[in-house]
Amino acid sequence: MATVREKGYSHWDGHLIARRFPWWPITRTGIQLAFRKKRFKIIFAGAFIPSFVFLVGLYVSERLEDFKTFLQGSDRLLNVGPKYFSIYFTNDSLLFLIVLVLAFGTGGLIADDLKHSSLQLYFSRPLSKKDYLIGKMSVIAFFVLILTALPGLVLIIFKLIFAGSFKFFLQYPWLPLSVLGYSALLTVFFGFYVLLLSSVSKNARYVLILIFGVYIFSNVLFGILQSIFRTPYMALFSVPANLQQAGAFLFGQKPPHAVPAVWSFAVLAAICALSALVLDRKIRSVEVIK
Amino acid sequence: MSIEVKDLSFRYGKIVALDGVTMSLGEGAVGLLGPNGAGKSTLLRILLGFLVPERGEGKVLDYDIRREQSMIRRSVGYMPESDCFVAGMDAVTFTSYFGELSGMPRQEAMKRAHEVLFYVGLGEARYRLLDTYSAGMKQRLKLAQALVHDPKILFLDEPTSNLDPTGRQEVLELIRDISAHKSIQVLLSSHILDDIESLCETVVILKQGKLAAEGRMADLRTIHYSLYELRIKGDGAAFRKDLEGAGSRVDEMEDGLIKVYMPEASVRMDIFRAAARTGVQLRSFVKSRTSLEDLFAGVVGVD
Repeated sequence: MATVREKGYSHWDGHLIARRFPWWPITRTGIQLAFRKKRFKIIFAGAFIPSFVFLVGLYVSERLEDFKTFLQGSDRLLNVGPKYFSIYFTNDSLLFLIVLVLAFGTGGLIADDLKHSSLQLYFSRPLSKKDYLIGKMSVIAFFVLILTALPGLVLIIFKLIFAGSFKFFLQYPWLPLSVLGYSALLTVFFGFYVLLLSSVSKNARYVLILIFGVYIFSNVLFGILQSIFRTPYMALFSVPANLQQAGAFLFGQKPPHAVPAVWSFAVLAAICALSALVLDRKIRSVEVIK
Repeated sequence: MSIEVKDLSFRYGKIVALDGVTMSLGEGAVGLLGPNGAGKSTLLRILLGFLVPERGEGKVLDYDIRREQSMIRRSVGYMPESDCFVAGMDAVTFTSYFGELSGMPRQEAMKRAHEVLFYVGLGEARYRLLDTYSAGMKQRLKLAQALVHDPKILFLDEPTSNLDPTGRQEVLELIRDISAHKSIQVLLSSHILDDIESLCETVVILKQGKLAAEGRMADLRTIHYSLYELRIKGDGAAFRKDLEGAGSRVDEMEDGLIKVYMPEASVRMDIFRAAARTGVQLRSFVKSRTSLEDLFAGVVGVD
């Protein structure tokens, strides 16, 4: 190891600034750290497959005559409207890919800080607990929005480009708002969901398993309970089912389960509230007390 | 005064961690001493605003510890006791990251990170992943992140723990340089008495959450008691009882050496008189200069 004081200490002649968004360095660094993982990069790239497929669908929907032989009567699936977008946003594969990206990219957001006792370093800076949590949640928001809002809006733009007119937009002027609304819902929900699970263990691998486990187990539980009680209300136990219910509502579609969508919103809100409560208890200066 | 606290009290549930601590600390290096559970770390955490005191008030650089925590944290560099880092980062990113979180502009933080890493001797290893750092390197890294925003005060919690003798000397050398030549005040909490003795001019001793002693080391050594080291032949128990009855504290070392801490009012002849009374023969008698260890033992009652 090199000897100490290779260079002398000199005072810094700058001035510390009070940032408007003091959490921004946490967000930026969190995103950078996620992309340093090779496995994550592959998963992240793969998560855009549904968008690409739906983009191709948009193109084909405008060229039905050209692709008639390939479609063989399945062109009704390519009737692009709110339902098309609702299917894109609420299909199991997209939700699963979001969970996959978040588990591998953001599972350790709090768990790693707990494991390496770095919370005390954060809180010895002019940062509040709120700043810390907003910084971490913004990392999740970045990945969720880049997989939902961005492709959703791009799909709308490409629909207009492929159609060569604004007819689609004039027909459904609220659709971009639905896209943004549902993306925001997913962002808030997954933000709390991932941070909650990330705060319950110091081991990022356990957190990864938990993020998948809770998501999948809730759906399995829904299937089991529904087969026992024969009531669609059991869908409220399932994380993906609740997200799909809320998505269908926001896109003006019939919910996949015969349960008022408001119940699903209530369940999702309850999970967020519970997460906020747990995070408030877990992330505090108490961490510094050994 | 850079740090002032008045009647500071804090408890963890039913356990009293600090009980009415009042003190004023000036410039230079200050040692914070005390046995485990004395309240040293709690005091640091209250000064940093991690914990809200149950009672009392305090100021760090004239910033109120209850209301102006953010300003305090801008002015203070904190080096925690436990290992702490951010996984997946190298030292430059880590140090500049915490500089930025302190309020430094990004470019400045990066430039400064390089400087302080060179200063603490991690210049060559600054692009290595922190996960691969040794205990000594992590200790220096913690010092680097505490220095990156050029604080006015450094709070160092056990800065030399887990270090080998060479590493310990190097870190002590850095702290000495910082406190003596860089006009940065250092508040050093440690259970290693030698560290405090070699670095600090002023010491604060806590005992069971209360202030046991505070002041310049030179004053504390002389004011409260005189220390004599003796060897005897005869009934040590009776001799000891006699001295303790006169208000002295007597510690027997494993090698037979007896340390007698005599109160100010007593004179050395009292030892000879006690020896005569109990029929003990004094084989050796030396007036000792009190080391911090002796001071600590005298005040806190722990060897």
